[in-house]
Amino acid sequence: MSINQVLPFISTALMLGFTIYVLQRWFVRRAPNFLFWGVGLAMFGAGSFAEAYLSLAWNRWVFFVWYLFGAALNAAWIGHGTLYLLVRKPWVHVVTAVLVIGSLFAGYLMLNAMPKLDATAFTTSKPVSEQYGTKVLEPGQTPPAGAQTTTTTYQGQQVTVVRGLLPLGSPVRLTTPFFNIYGLLTLVGGAIYSAFLFWRKRVLPNRVIGNVLIAGGALLIGSASTLTRLGYGQFLYLGELLSAILMFAGFRFAARPQPSDALQGVAVAAD
Amino acid sequence: MPNSTRVTETSRITGKSMLFEKIIPALLILMGVLMTALILFAAGVLLGIIHF
Repeated sequence: MSINQVLPFISTALMLGFTIYVLQRWFVRRAPNFLFWGVGLAMFGAGSFAEAYLSLAWNRWVFFVWYLFGAALNAAWIGHGTLYLLVRKPWVHVVTAVLVIGSLFAGYLMLNAMPKLDATAFTTSKPVSEQYGTKVLEPGQTPPAGAQTTTTTYQGQQVTVVRGLLPLGSPVRLTTPFFNIYGLLTLVGGAIYSAFLFWRKRVLPNRVIGNVLIAGGALLIGSASTLTRLGYGQFLYLGELLSAILMFAGFRFAARPQPSDALQGVAVAAD
Repeated sequence: MPNSTRVTETSRITGKSMLFEKIIPALLILMGVLMTALILFAAGVLLGIIHF
């Protein structure tokens, strides 16, 4: 077993601990931000585990978990927790409904894609993030080293494609950018905004540093995933582990108890 | 009084800190730029401008 196969299991264990830590807070305080963070982190952990499993063997339902929870939904759910923390307005509940319905719809589309998965395109020699999508090769474009190509008809045209697990034009793939854009805006944008707010008011340095670590961790996994999909997958597992460490450390740091006089002077919520 | 002095020290950002004067602002700007780049990339994928 190589180091690249071990790292995602370590990330999974770390995310499990992080998820339990956050959900324990939800059980005590019943604040919705903890619930969404906990669910999102559980999705992140499930995605890490699925990725680790798929580096050893193929299973279509593990792939389902990896794509739906690991690639599509987790950032949006974690970020939605941050939105609940920062914005205390009734419209956030409408966004919650959209997120839940959108997630269920993505799950439905993923279920529809399951019978069409091309498992023969699967290999354990590279991360699943590098092989999940079937891509059209533009004229003159050369396929990546080791990629399997085939010719097929798509939208009435004969095209050469690099074979992937999900079929060409799979509708579920269209949903992923929506979730990821929302997740980036709320998770990273929310952490940057919170850090800036405390920094500007010159209070609670632990929350400034904690939010910087959270934003850094989320950006790290976002960048590593993007690089992987562009064919540079060698940093993915390390990026995933460092991201989990940074976010957990950031959360612990930001959640450290503070003197009440400082907290009173800070308007966290944008209401 | 010793307590209140300790409270002030731990809950306020001091003015002479290199971390809070230089590094944190630079990191916030850098992360904002990176976040915008990733959002634009995802939007490009969504709009079909970037084939991916």
